[in-house]
Amino acid sequence: MSLSPSTSKMLSLKSSDGKVLEVEEHVAVLCETIKSLVEDGCADSPIPLANVDGATLGNVMEWCKKHADQKASADDLEDWDAEFVERDQGELYHLIMAANYLNIKGLLDLICQKVADMIKGKHPEKIREIFNIENDFTPEQQEQIRKDNSWAFE
Amino acid sequence: MTFFPEEVLEHIFSFLPSHQHRNSISLVSKTWFKVERLSRHRVFVGNCYALTPQRLIARFPRVRALTLKGKPHVADFNSVSPHWGCFVFPWIVALAQNCPSLQEIKLKRMVVSDNSLDLLSRSFPNFNSLVLVGCNGFTTDGLAAIASNCRLLEVLDLQENEVQEGISQWLSCFPESCTSLVSLNFASLKGQVDLTALEKLVARCPNLRSLRLNRTVPLDMLQKILVRAPQLVDLGIGSYVQQTRSESYVKLCNSVLNCKSVQNLSGFWEVFPPCLPAIYPVCWNLTSLNLSYARGIRGLHLNRLIRQCQKLQRLWILDCIGDMGLEVVANTCKDLQELRVFPSDPYNAISSVTEGGLVAISIGCPKLHSLLYFCLQMTNAALITIAKNCPNFTYFRLCILNPKMPDHITLQPLDEGFGAIVQSCKKLRRLSLSGFLTDKVFLYIGMYAEQLEMLSVAFAGKGDKGMLYVLNGCRNLRKLEIRDSPFDDAALLADVVKYERMRFLWISSCEVTLGGCKALAKKVPMLNVEIINEEDQMEENPDDSMKVEKMYLYRTLDGPRKDAPDFVWAL
Repeated sequence: MSLSPSTSKMLSLKSSDGKVLEVEEHVAVLCETIKSLVEDGCADSPIPLANVDGATLGNVMEWCKKHADQKASADDLEDWDAEFVERDQGELYHLIMAANYLNIKGLLDLICQKVADMIKGKHPEKIREIFNIENDFTPEQQEQIRKDNSWAFE
Repeated sequence: MTFFPEEVLEHIFSFLPSHQHRNSISLVSKTWFKVERLSRHRVFVGNCYALTPQRLIARFPRVRALTLKGKPHVADFNSVSPHWGCFVFPWIVALAQNCPSLQEIKLKRMVVSDNSLDLLSRSFPNFNSLVLVGCNGFTTDGLAAIASNCRLLEVLDLQENEVQEGISQWLSCFPESCTSLVSLNFASLKGQVDLTALEKLVARCPNLRSLRLNRTVPLDMLQKILVRAPQLVDLGIGSYVQQTRSESYVKLCNSVLNCKSVQNLSGFWEVFPPCLPAIYPVCWNLTSLNLSYARGIRGLHLNRLIRQCQKLQRLWILDCIGDMGLEVVANTCKDLQELRVFPSDPYNAISSVTEGGLVAISIGCPKLHSLLYFCLQMTNAALITIAKNCPNFTYFRLCILNPKMPDHITLQPLDEGFGAIVQSCKKLRRLSLSGFLTDKVFLYIGMYAEQLEMLSVAFAGKGDKGMLYVLNGCRNLRKLEIRDSPFDDAALLADVVKYERMRFLWISSCEVTLGGCKALAKKVPMLNVEIINEEDQMEENPDDSMKVEKMYLYRTLDGPRKDAPDFVWAL
């Protein structure tokens, strides 16, 4: 692999809203999706990323840059990540979708853990409210699940 | 944030393993329900009669790890006939047909036949963990099937089971290719095991962390095992008898020095106490010590052993430790969190521990939060002190061996003492009462024990008010056992809606009548009301005023069970 930081070349990434971001290759290849393109020699310039808007792409690359930094210690990264996920729900949502599309396991785990923490210990009504989800159960269906849960799978 | 693709939802849910969280998730929307249902790999069923295997499989078709609980808790005290029910066979049949991805099973208080174990061993290609706790109905032949056929087995943990001897040498049935064991516990098996096979098995399983031997494994084999597996974290010793001048004792002393990882120590079914110093080198690192089978360790030998164990967090011990021994614990084990003191002679109501030992523990071990204490006597003053010293109790089970015994100094009921416990210990989830008590104690429990989930009562109360206080006050109560108390029909029928919130209600030797149980069954048709009458031949048409020996009430989604024996009446 010729992806060491010192010799890393630059890649251009183009977001869904037409913004172009120049990123060092060793940073961008934390995205498995981009890594495969580079390895297969299919990395057009700029690489079009149809599912990620410019602002989100900027955030994603900020995360990748930090995590590509060989000098960062585990403790340092943990603190940095904890600050990184302090965002509003809209941003978190876009980050999850981007991490999923670009296939960045570390980032996907990080944001999913954050969202799971938001769900933990909450009643279903509260979860729906937080994530703006419509309750599409009939009252009878809901009652049946509630009963199954508490009578059999408590 | 409205729409997550299902794969992302599943990923989020993977960070929420507890079934309480997952039950909440399942109620959010149809999509969340579906994703949760297909991704719940660990399923817990607190009562195997609450549903059929078919309902479990329909809801969670991709289950990989299943915990099933059977008979009521009182079965631990021989209060439930072995023929009462809770057969695992229909579950294994249904799972074998529908859930080939099953990998782990844990069964508690169920009847497990050799056929079940055989079918289990051949039906799930990736099966790797079998934990049986308090089960019966099988022999070592069933274990032989597990050993022979489960190629990826990591855990075989047999706790407190009644296992009959079959014809197979089950331990020699592990194939040469079996190298995956992480945990092997056969401490409660009575029969001889093949020692050569045992040594070879231990030698070829590099990941073995937990090994608990039964009483037939002698000290010289223990020594060989420690040489083969110095990495053990959890060690259960079988027989610990040897002359201290013998060669194998000297070898043992040297082998123990290499076992730096041991944190849990148990067993010692047979002991020659002068050999105990050989084990001292692992003691400084122990967090858990279970001497509840070690009848041979007492007096000075016991105190010396305890003094080596300064990091203990959990101690299970027999009451022959005495109050003096408990003082040694209190002075040595400053991190102690859990203490269980078992009776060495439960049938004669003799014990050498009293309120004095427990008060000493409460002073020396402020982190204590879980207690089971069989003792001779208690006082209100002691309980009030204990409540003040250890306000973090979540489990508090006090068993005074002489039932109905009052405060032995003031001769007052122990209401105020238990009242102090429930008032101080805000996190209390489980409480067992004993001694002479009146309805006042139930008033306190109903008033203060807001987090209480399980209550066991024996020989207590004066009328029927007590239970009403508890049912009205303890909103989180899910399990209730009452025996030998003046609990009657009026109390039983006073607030039946509350029973829908509970996993079970067990009543034995109280004042409840057949008519009362019938009325109850009529009022709560969705709950199963079972009457158990093993001793007497029940008459053809018994009178409704007949007192019921045992009643068990529980919730079920699938109606009355079909496998009840003759002595169980489903109303």
